[in-house]
Amino acid sequence: MKPRRCLAISLMCVVSLFAEAPRGTVPRSAADRYPSHAEQNGIAIGVTLLTPDQARHAFASDVNRCCLVVEVALYPPKDVPLDISLNDFVLRVTGTDVATKPSGAKVLAAKLQKKNASPHDRDVTVSPTVGVGYESGPVFDPATGQRRGGGVYTSAGVGVGIGGPQPQPGSSDRDRNTMELELSEKGLPEGIAPAPVAGYLYFSLPATKDKKATHQLEYTLNGNKVVLALP
Amino acid sequence: MKCLRIFVLCLGIFLMGSARGQTTSSGTGQSQTPQTNSATSGQDTKAATDTSADALQDEHHHKFHVRLGTISVGAGYSHFSGPFFNPFWPYRFYPYGFYPYSFGYSPFFYDPFFYSPFYAPGYFRGFSYDEGRGQVKLTDAPKTAEVYLDGAYAGTANKLKTMWLDPGAYDLSVSAPGATPFHQRIYVLSGKSLKIAAKLSPQTTQEKQKTEEKQ
Repeated sequence: MKPRRCLAISLMCVVSLFAEAPRGTVPRSAADRYPSHAEQNGIAIGVTLLTPDQARHAFASDVNRCCLVVEVALYPPKDVPLDISLNDFVLRVTGTDVATKPSGAKVLAAKLQKKNASPHDRDVTVSPTVGVGYESGPVFDPATGQRRGGGVYTSAGVGVGIGGPQPQPGSSDRDRNTMELELSEKGLPEGIAPAPVAGYLYFSLPATKDKKATHQLEYTLNGNKVVLALP
Repeated sequence: MKCLRIFVLCLGIFLMGSARGQTTSSGTGQSQTPQTNSATSGQDTKAATDTSADALQDEHHHKFHVRLGTISVGAGYSHFSGPFFNPFWPYRFYPYGFYPYSFGYSPFFYDPFFYSPFYAPGYFRGFSYDEGRGQVKLTDAPKTAEVYLDGAYAGTANKLKTMWLDPGAYDLSVSAPGATPFHQRIYVLSGKSLKIAAKLSPQTTQEKQKTEEKQ
């Protein structure tokens, strides 16, 4: 085999090994297909806040325990690639100073990993048993080696079972890696985007007592802030 | 030089002989030691005592201890379900990451029937329940549809309605003749259940043409 062909094949192998899995979600046909959308300098953005039920269906990981999930789609103009950075996004509780930036998949996976019960926690089960019976005689008594007549006999005992704690679902390290992988693969991809892209942003906001509180997503684009109200 | 070689050879033979002698004495001296012990005195007595201690130790080493409490009798029954029982090529289970159809059949691929299960025990576990696994329920797929996991054939849909998989991300594909294949990336977590509705839609005319061209 020629050295050039050999080199090309080995290069293809290396590229296929390091090729990343596709990231994000499939963007809708246009930004106005999202409940909240805006356009600035030819760049369109569409966002939607996932309800807890939608998040439960979209993720195997229980993201409702840690954060609010916002689906974001960006549509750059033709021949003008867009540089996407997660630091350009902020989620704010409307009318307050409470705001946060998106969290990374690694941090969230650590939060979502359930802790197993302490190995010192033991499940002790005590089962007392009592028995009363009648035996018809005469029978051979193994204790005395003599024959004896039958009669009523009684017995009593206690059984003690000690068990370890059951592992919690989604508590192993492999689960944590899987959750991290899922959140990372479904997240909004960072970097240069020449075509429309979409993905999820995860915001770890502290729980508010006000159930009617609404949120707004702020996106800083070339120094200009775009505010999108999330229904 | 020749003398030196002869000297080394002799030395070697001597050392081997002495080593054999030691082995023989330690091996056979157990019953003779008490007699020697009674006949000697002074330093010899001390040496004899040490020897008897060694002999006792040796005796201890060779003693069999039968502990009735440790005897256990067990019986087991194992059930393998899934594609392992299908002996017809190419419907064999291949580990994830192996793509036999891309390269043609090769005897070097792992075959759980040919190799020992201890050779690669992870591949021999099938899709049965295990404590650290997650459940994947496949619904709406035709019975004869072929199920692929990470590109490897896993079985037919009617036999894989419920799969227990190790935690991780998998590429699930379900395909049937005359229908558009279903693809989904699934994330399996231990102790959790995942329901996948793999409803296959009939192929369009263009897709049919493409499939025919490929064939």
